[in-house]
Amino acid sequence: MKPVRDIGLLFQRYDIQLLRNPVWLFVGFSTPILYLVLFMPLLKHAGGAVGLSSGQVVNLFLPGILSLLAFASGIGLGFSTIFELKAGVIERFRVTPASRFAILTGPILATMTMMFVFDAVVVAVGFGVGFTVHWAGLAVLAVLLALLMATVAAFSVATALITKDISGFAAIVNGLNLPVLLLAGVLLPISLGPAWMRVIAHFNPLYYLVEASRVLAGGTLAATAVWQAFAVLVPLCAVVLAWATGVFRKAVA
Amino acid sequence: MRPMDSIITTRELRKSFAGRGKRGGRVEAVRGVSIDVARGEVFGFLGPNGAGKTTTLRMLTTLLPIESGTATVAGFDVARRPKQVRTRIGYVSQLGGADELATGRENLILQGRLYGASRAQVAPRAQALVELLDLAEFADRRVATYSGGQRRRLDIALGIVHEPSVIFLDEPTTGLDPQSRANLWDHIRALRERGATVFLTTHYLEEADVLCDRLMIMDHGQIVAEGTPRALKQQVAGDAIVISLRSDDHGADNHGAGGHGAERAAPVLRAEPYVRELTAEDGQVRLYVDDGGTALPQLIRLLDSSGIPIRSISMSEPTLDDVFLRQTGRSLRDEGTAGGEPGSDTGTEPREVAA
Repeated sequence: MKPVRDIGLLFQRYDIQLLRNPVWLFVGFSTPILYLVLFMPLLKHAGGAVGLSSGQVVNLFLPGILSLLAFASGIGLGFSTIFELKAGVIERFRVTPASRFAILTGPILATMTMMFVFDAVVVAVGFGVGFTVHWAGLAVLAVLLALLMATVAAFSVATALITKDISGFAAIVNGLNLPVLLLAGVLLPISLGPAWMRVIAHFNPLYYLVEASRVLAGGTLAATAVWQAFAVLVPLCAVVLAWATGVFRKAVA
Repeated sequence: MRPMDSIITTRELRKSFAGRGKRGGRVEAVRGVSIDVARGEVFGFLGPNGAGKTTTLRMLTTLLPIESGTATVAGFDVARRPKQVRTRIGYVSQLGGADELATGRENLILQGRLYGASRAQVAPRAQALVELLDLAEFADRRVATYSGGQRRRLDIALGIVHEPSVIFLDEPTTGLDPQSRANLWDHIRALRERGATVFLTTHYLEEADVLCDRLMIMDHGQIVAEGTPRALKQQVAGDAIVISLRSDDHGADNHGAGGHGAERAAPVLRAEPYVRELTAEDGQVRLYVDDGGTALPQLIRLLDSSGIPIRSISMSEPTLDDVFLRQTGRSLRDEGTAGGEPGSDTGTEPREVAA
């Protein structure tokens, strides 16, 4: 299978690019840890006030961090796409017979692998402060995280190719970041919000992941939130990947 | 040229882009370009930045959809069979695009594998390219540490790792120092000797003249002249004479004052029957005559008797710039930085040419 081979080559290549970039590695590892270190004490206080143990607080909070990481690693890929576009890398690949789907997904999968490494770090640190590990739940959650990350990454890469310059792209990403994060209940559950907010949240793919992540991290597999997340993210991921591949194929002037 | 020898053929190729800014409308970047490139030749596209050279190249290399017209490269229709075209061509863009965090050799091996070769097949080929393009000294260092000339050679190696029959080079020597440029010319000639067809774009006159077997001069999206460098220069019959004039009053010839001398001289010289064409700019008069040897003394006498002091006078065989000047009314030397394409050289400021 040629596309699979091409994906493998471009996966490897992007992985090397990531691992040889010390700044990227440092920021990549420190961000999730910072979330835990800087948010946990605050939440512990708040949780203690309503009678939650510190373990219960991590159980509630950590799945949100994993979801956030999936979103952040996906959206960040567009920035490196713009860099590679400006450096002529994308064009160098596009002129080869390599599969366009592979040119898109190689870097996505490489970034996803790194995301899972960060996820493992977050879970390990969380375990240290009382997170209850349910392996089956986390395994299913990993699939959902991968789906969301791939969707967001493909969207980000295609948007980067269309906008072509960093300022236009950054404006779009920053404009989307805040509403998507707030309307997903990543840090505070959306159920605390008013009805209109809960309605809008249903148009946000990240919302479904966050809802499912809390259930799955708690060890429940057969829940409505889980099925809903799959029902939303599987088709969405397919559509966005197909669209983004088309953007690569059509060429960027 | 018989069409059967042709490895690149285009007919009436066109491309326009949506206009930027408030004016809108469409910008016609390529306006009906027909090309025939013979197998095994070094073919050049000469023109100022923004002439449409890169756009044409990007259409021929499958990177940009063709708007109208046809293009066949290495036996396949570019629009209908892009994959077949891609396996048979190499393309080195102005940007290059090697991975900076990888070594030259790692870049070469990945590139070769993307064209379907196995690691075992591509390693000796990469080594051969390292030798061919003199990369040995730095092939195992990260690309980020390379000089401009070293990088350019790696870019070219990346473009030919799959042994394509046609190699497209977009402004291959832009930004290089003269020594690296001459060195790269040798390497490009070596590619032709190995049997490849080389299609390059350039806005350097010397490069087109020295390197190309045949060339087309492009301006505003259209071909304005075509032929071997020698034949093109012969179109501009006779010799070119450049006369610098002193101004009467100050002796200094910054624009205003120097232009004054040239303005006075131009009508006097133009009236002479043996002067074929004449342009005046920046205190200089440039004119063409059939026979420089007999015209020169007459011109000097004429200016002397008209009381126009001469600062210097020179005669040369026509250059490709004279061809460009004749076709477009502008000098290519002055157009070097105009147009705003990326990677343009840092030469003279664009100036208006008073024709």
